[in-house]
Amino acid sequence: MTINLSEPEIYQKPQSDDVVLSVKGISKKFCRDLKRSLLYGVQDIASELAGRRGKTETLRQKEFWALNNVSFELRRGDALGLIGPNGSGKTTLLRIISGLIRPDTGSCEVKGRLAPLIALGAGFIPILTGRENVYTNMSILGLSKHEIDQRFQDVLDFADIGDAIDTPVQSYSSGMAARLGFASAIHTEPDILLIDEVLAVGDAKFKAKCYRKLHELRNKGISFIMVSHSSHAISTVCESAVYLLKGKQILSGDTLSVLNKYEEDAFMSASQKDLGFLHIPEKPEVESGGLDVVAVFFKDKNGEIIDIPVSGELTYLVLDCKITKQLHDVSLTIGVRELAGESRRILYINSSDDDLYLDISPGRCEIQVQMPYFGLGMGLYDARIAIRMEKLFLLDKIESFKFAVKNAKNQSDSMMFYQPRTWNIINK
Amino acid sequence: MGRRNKQLHDQSLNKRSPTIVYTPESQLKHPIQLFTQMWQDLLACRELAWQLLIRNISAQYRQSFLGIFWAFLPPIVTAIGFTFANNAKIVNIGATDIPYPAYVMFSMALWQTFSEAINGPIQAVTSAKQMLSRINFPREALILAKLGEVFFNFGIKLILIVAIFLWFQIPITWNIILAPVALIHLVILGTFFGLLLAPLGALYNDISKSLTLIIGLWLFLTPVVFPIPQGGGLAKIVQLNPVTPLLVTTRELATTGVVSNPSAFWIASIFAIVGLLLAWVVYRLAMPFVVERMSS
Repeated sequence: MTINLSEPEIYQKPQSDDVVLSVKGISKKFCRDLKRSLLYGVQDIASELAGRRGKTETLRQKEFWALNNVSFELRRGDALGLIGPNGSGKTTLLRIISGLIRPDTGSCEVKGRLAPLIALGAGFIPILTGRENVYTNMSILGLSKHEIDQRFQDVLDFADIGDAIDTPVQSYSSGMAARLGFASAIHTEPDILLIDEVLAVGDAKFKAKCYRKLHELRNKGISFIMVSHSSHAISTVCESAVYLLKGKQILSGDTLSVLNKYEEDAFMSASQKDLGFLHIPEKPEVESGGLDVVAVFFKDKNGEIIDIPVSGELTYLVLDCKITKQLHDVSLTIGVRELAGESRRILYINSSDDDLYLDISPGRCEIQVQMPYFGLGMGLYDARIAIRMEKLFLLDKIESFKFAVKNAKNQSDSMMFYQPRTWNIINK
Repeated sequence: MGRRNKQLHDQSLNKRSPTIVYTPESQLKHPIQLFTQMWQDLLACRELAWQLLIRNISAQYRQSFLGIFWAFLPPIVTAIGFTFANNAKIVNIGATDIPYPAYVMFSMALWQTFSEAINGPIQAVTSAKQMLSRINFPREALILAKLGEVFFNFGIKLILIVAIFLWFQIPITWNIILAPVALIHLVILGTFFGLLLAPLGALYNDISKSLTLIIGLWLFLTPVVFPIPQGGGLAKIVQLNPVTPLLVTTRELATTGVVSNPSAFWIASIFAIVGLLLAWVVYRLAMPFVVERMSS
């Protein structure tokens, strides 16, 4: 018996319409030239003190828009992801929301107490003990001594650093310090929590604990803004997202569509416009080894050429080749790395592992790799393909074939690889 | 039931946390709102300031072998130097109300307190750069904590001062009770200058460098190692120096009990107090722009 279990777990969010954060048309300009930037700072202070400062829409020399007309709303108990490559203005936006810097246009309305998880252990003094630092750190975040006393044990339990709490922070490992910082920030019980890439710290066990805590806080009606350039982190926590690129708000809405757009754009900017289709100009005859790859692309189950293969579908990787002499014992290797992140090698296919050695006659031919379920998850990849004769003699190679993979429509969440499966229930 | 709990939670949220709106508009356009916020922040940051004060002081003494001895050392060293110079007739210093070494040590302790008050805000902002650029806490807390430190350091110097008074058997009057008032005004004056310079000082390190020079020069335009000069070009400058009446009055109240120039004292005090309030507004308005530009 086979049943379908595709129904995703539905998240119970508090039914509430009140907006806790409303960002309307926020812009911010920055200057990369340090001396000039300081001078502009003094100018800004002067005009603020003269009471003349208002919204400014013109750029001074060497300035650029670090944020340009960004608007969104956050309701109580909601989680919003901010995504974009480095330098797209995510942190600047968080700093405006937390009131650290003033916007140049627009307005930002905040209801309730806001705690930044940007600042893990900001204000930790290395020679003081963990205990002393927790007290200072939590009072900087706005708690009274009495409130800290009440929560101290919770912080201690959460940070899980044991007796080290009474030793100076300079003797801590960076992971311990980060854990203590996270624990004290998260126990301030804010109304809005700003999380900036901080979940990257700590070991897997602590990370899991953090996510559980975040889940618990959300059930209490605390809202989040989470910044990351990893779409995975955002897709697990947030139901809506804002995509920023060079300060502009490219798209906002439900997480999946925003993430799709973000990943798509990341592919486009990856230098090659002909992503998923590589055409190779003909080589002079002296350079040819007898086999020249003319084009590399994908075909779907109907045999039609596609730019972006879909995770989990029947897909063919096709090498269109021109052969000029009789070849025997031809084998090929395909290595695939992810383009984002650490560019780890994800996949390695070697035809000789499959005991496949081809004999090919002169003319045009397509070498097809049939993949019944395309295993790679949504993302951007770079393949390196080599074709050899008698395992050693290099006939031709493709240094870089970049392609994107998208999720199937019925796929509820993003994942790193597709697991083909069937479901069974066996009655005993 | 659940709904009711949520309402209660909502109420507590609203009570605890008012809505804040950030706009590009100059905050001076809404002065009443600005002053209310300044007052609220000042009240709200007392506890934080206390925490910071404890943190700063314990960090300061934990990393020091000589500890509080550093509070005594500068006045003693200066006194020894000037007493030698005076006795050897290298410098010609007029007659003082109290024995000269005691005069220099006591005055130096007061001067040091004043210069700590000037340097305090700039130091506080510079050393808290990382915190300032990441967390939005009432910026007044840094200044209050630093003021606490200034008074704490003076408290330690008080041990030295009491020792001097006993050693030299300096007579005191009941007016010594009023001396702290004058001292507070002296600290207010220092904080006024420091607070005014703090935002700029966080941007340009020229400020703190030139301040060191200026304070060094200023010492010799204030009757610290010499009595108030009578006549001459220096006398004019010393008279116009706002530190003179405040420092001299503190010293007079603590020793002779006779205030020589009360009107100058009150003019300088009003100058200091009004100045401090203005500097507070400047500091508060300027800080977001400083945070924006400063390197953290």
